[in-house]
Order: sequence, then C-alpha cells, then structure tokens
Amino acid sequence: MKSLFVEGNSAMHRLSARAKLVALAAVGVLLFLSANLLLLALAVLATAAIYFSIGLPTRSALARLKPIFLTILIVALFSLTFKPWHVAVVALLRLTALMLFAAAVTATTTIAQFIDEITLLARPLERLGLLRADDVGLAVGLVVRFVPEILDRYHAIREAHAARGLKVRPTTVLVPLIILTLRDADNIAAAIDARGVRRHVNVRTR
Amino acid sequence: MSTRDLVLSALFAAIIVALGILPPITLGFIPVPITAQSLGVMMAGVVLGARRGTIAVLIVLVLVAIGLPVLSGGRGGLAAFAAPTTGFLIGWVFAAFVTGYLSERLVKSEQSALMQTVGFFFAAIIGGIVVLYAFGIAYLAVAAQLGLSKAFLGSMAFIPGDVIKAFVAALVGRAVMVGYPLLPVRS
Amino acid sequence: MDIRFESAGVSYGARVALAPVTLQLTEKRVGIIGLNGSGKTTFARLINGLTKPSVGRVVVNGRDTADTKAVLTDVGFIFQSPQNQIILPVVRDDIAFGLKSRGYKPAEITAKVEAILQRFSAAHLAERRAHELSGGELQLAALCSVLATGPDILILDEPTNQLDLKNRGLVQRLVESLPESAIVISHDLELVADYERVLVFHEGNLFADAPATEAIRRYREIASR
Repeated sequence: MKSLFVEGNSAMHRLSARAKLVALAAVGVLLFLSANLLLLALAVLATAAIYFSIGLPTRSALARLKPIFLTILIVALFSLTFKPWHVAVVALLRLTALMLFAAAVTATTTIAQFIDEITLLARPLERLGLLRADDVGLAVGLVVRFVPEILDRYHAIREAHAARGLKVRPTTVLVPLIILTLRDADNIAAAIDARGVRRHVNVRTR
Repeated sequence: MSTRDLVLSALFAAIIVALGILPPITLGFIPVPITAQSLGVMMAGVVLGARRGTIAVLIVLVLVAIGLPVLSGGRGGLAAFAAPTTGFLIGWVFAAFVTGYLSERLVKSEQSALMQTVGFFFAAIIGGIVVLYAFGIAYLAVAAQLGLSKAFLGSMAFIPGDVIKAFVAALVGRAVMVGYPLLPVRS
Repeated sequence: MDIRFESAGVSYGARVALAPVTLQLTEKRVGIIGLNGSGKTTFARLINGLTKPSVGRVVVNGRDTADTKAVLTDVGFIFQSPQNQIILPVVRDDIAFGLKSRGYKPAEITAKVEAILQRFSAAHLAERRAHELSGGELQLAALCSVLATGPDILILDEPTNQLDLKNRGLVQRLVESLPESAIVISHDLELVADYERVLVFHEGNLFADAPATEAIRRYREIASR
C-alpha cells in the first residue's frame, strides 16, 4: 500500500508534523468563520500555491484531489438549485481551500511522523485507562501487514468457487473470508504476547 | 484492552480496507454491485460487537488520516476529511458502535435462525442507516451549507442500496455467529 | 537454564488440560512429543507464563512465572504458523518492534537488529515484506525477532510443521546450532531424535521422561494403540 507521502525539501516538508496539524486546525477554523467571498477566494489561491509547491508532478497532484473535489463540486451545484448563489460558492471555496491545505499536509508528512504525533496525543488517555498509546502504531502495522494476506484469501475463495461452478455471492465469499481471517487472531495475539511487546499487560491466562 | 481484542479489531480494519480495494460483488437478485466498504462497517458491528467494531472503524480512520489511500477509490489523507461527505465518515464510528451494541443486546444463541437474522438486520438498519445518516446529513447541512431538509433529500437516494447492505450484513453476521461466534453476550 | 515445575497443572473448569507435573529442566536440548491434545502445548505455555498454572507453580531461572514480564525477558517462543508471527509489514521493523517496546534507544535498536541479522545470515530478508516470504524465510525472520531481545531459553512449538522438506532441513540446522537452550515440541520425530531428554505427554499426563531413543519408543507404543 503506497502512502500519500511524497519525498521533497519544500518549506512544508521542513515544518514539524505538529506545526502543520495545528496550522490545519487553525486554517479550518478561520475558513469556517469567514463568509467573505474575496477572502475565501484568496484562501483558495494561497492553499493552491502551497499545494503545488511541494514537489508533486501536476498530474498526480490533481489526480489525488479529483474524487474529493468532485464531491465538493456536486454538492455545491446541488445547493445552487435552491440556495442564493453566493452560499453555494462560499461552501465550494471553503471546502476547496481546506482540501488543498490538508492534501499539502498529508503529502509532506510521513506515516511515522503521524503515528508519533498520534501516540503522543494518546498518552494522556493512557492514564485514564482508555487505551495504550503504543497500540496505535501496532494496530496500523497489523493492518498494513495483513491486508495483502486477506486479498490473497479472497482470491483463493473465488477460485474455489469457480472450481465448484459456484457463483460468487456476498455471503458465500464474505463469510469464509471473515471467519478464516479472524481465526488467526488468537495465534497472532499469542505471538505478540509471547514477545512481551505490550508490557504491563495482564496476559490472558488461557 | 486484551491483545486478542486489539488483533481482532485490527484484522477487521484490514478487512474493511480490503473491501475498498476489491471490486464490488453483485447480489444474485439485483444486478447492481454492492460497494463493500460501508457494508464492512455494518459487519464490524454485527460480528465483533460494539467495542471492537468501533475500534476497528477508528483504526480505519487513523489509516486514512495518516496518509494511506484506504478509502474505496484510493482516497485517503487528511484531504478526505475536507469533503462534504465527511459526516458519513465520522458517522461510521457511531454506526459501528450502535450496530454492535444492538447486536449484542438483541441477538441470542437460543433464538431461531430467522430471529437472529432479523435482530442483526434491525441493528444494521439503526446503526448503519439511521445513526450514520444522522451524522452525514448534519454535516452536509452545516459544513456544506445545504440546510437540513435539502441535505436529507439529497441523501435519500442512497438509502435503498444501504438497506440491501444491511440485509447482507445481517446474513453475514448470522452465518459468522454460527461458524465462529465472537459476539460478547450481554444480558 | 533452570526450569522447575512444582506440582504445576492446568484445568479449565472440569477439564484437566495438564495433570500436575513435578520436574526440573536443565538440559541444553529438551524435546516434547505427544499426540494432539496431549497437553504438550499447555506444558510449554506454562514456561513463558502465557498460561498460568491452576495448581502449583512454575519457576524459570529463579523467577515465578506469575510475574509474566520478568519471565518473558528470559524465554522466547516460536509458534507453528510462520505468517502469524511477523506482525509488521517489513521484517526489519518487526525485529525492531520488540526492542522498541523494551525501551531500547534508537541507536541500540539499530545495532541489535544488525547483529541478529548477521548472526542468522538473514540480512537479505531485512527490507523484504513479510507477505512475500516463504514459510522457511518467515520462520527465520521470526527467530530473528524473538532472539533479538536476548532470551536465553527458546521454546519452539512445532516449528517445522508447516514447512516443506527443504525449509524443514533449514530450520532443523538452525535449531541445532543455537547457543541458547531450546525446548522443542515436535511431531517431526527426526527433529528431536538425538536430544538428551524428551518428554512424552499423553491425555494430559506426563507419560514418559527419558533420553530421545527410549522416549520415542514409548511414544510409538501409545500412538499405535
């Protein structure tokens, strides 16, 4: 699974993850506080300038935004049919500027940096007994590790269907996919516990 | 949280991600393909229950936030949260929770197959549609400035498809409960 | 190593998974054999504290297994299924992960990862994705991950069960050459054929405790009944 991070040396790249996330939150708040068309248009220009300066080739830069921008556009067009035009345009500009800045943050911050930030944010919650901060990194790793195995399993199930002349239906495919995948959980958990990586855990006695 | 629960949630998150990558599956009686990722959210609730189902969905959202293109269509990154449909994304968390909670309460092993399927279907409808759409519509109304009634109207078109998904989720939930019961029993 | 079982047994409600056992293990190589469901895995899991005794206690290198954290420092565990032990996408990250959770600093982690890869001539696996590796390569990677934190006792639960002939030989040679003490559960009798001590379990009881040849002979007796 290729991440959306892009190597580079732009100003955004050199900012810390935390600074960018705080900036994103601030930008979001400011965008929603303003209903001024001119200001919002400038915001779009500014965030676009930032986004296209980080080093992504134009085509991929646009490709990433396409599905999201399409949704923004469609909703704006929909609201044009029954709302005064400037309301629709405000929404369009607001969300577009937000999208551009958010995409810039994503493209200039590595997965490891994000995980470090989330882990740090989660530490106070640890004291409340809600979760273990390091579990975030572990959970992300587990997913990336096992998605390819699940895809393989799906294809194996489809092949088995074909071999038996069965049509592929949601229940006949999803049920074995889920059961076979979740059955591995016990073994994986045992391996994790045996390595003592989740310290302070009251290891299951079974 | 026990290691087993963490792994179960992570594996289901991986299933939801896989469903976003795989092509949609067609149901026999309807020639329309089921885009599976939101089905995955309902299934997280009926299979894993409230707590683990919610955590599975949270893990998926973390994956999106940190820049992995795991949403169907290869979408991902923080920009995905800028879309007007973000309410549906955040709503996934509550949808999984409510679906799981209702599944734990309503479905019992002593019930007949039909009763169990109905129970899961009800849980999936309330969680996967009522609760989900509440969040989706509210966000559309406010952040995209559509206003409540128009946001509601615009979203209605998607409900039939989601009812079918709730039905599939119910069938899957029941079959998995028979094959590998994981739902915590709540009195 | 010094592993003491003091009337340690495991029951789940009315079901006795392992009848109380009293013995002391100090040998470099110990084999454990028995039919499925004989209690051999339960016995092994008592040693690293993953399973707690319902009666009695288990003491590893002077430490009661009730203190799981301490015991896990001394005992490493290799499981049957190769792919379920590597839990992060890239092998190097998986090896580093165990070290990171023990609190080692980044420089120490890098050094230890390199060292363990060198030791097993596994440097070629470091940047590989677990998904692309063969069963044998995965078991090799698992050995690196587990031994990177330096346990001096290694338990291997049917390490060659899911491997083909070639990889079976590879893992067998690896286990033979380990300086750590090794306790090996195996259906593959060849693996434990020259161990100085082999325990035979049957229906939850310790059926025999003898050098390999004798133990295997007695195991064949029960298995053919």
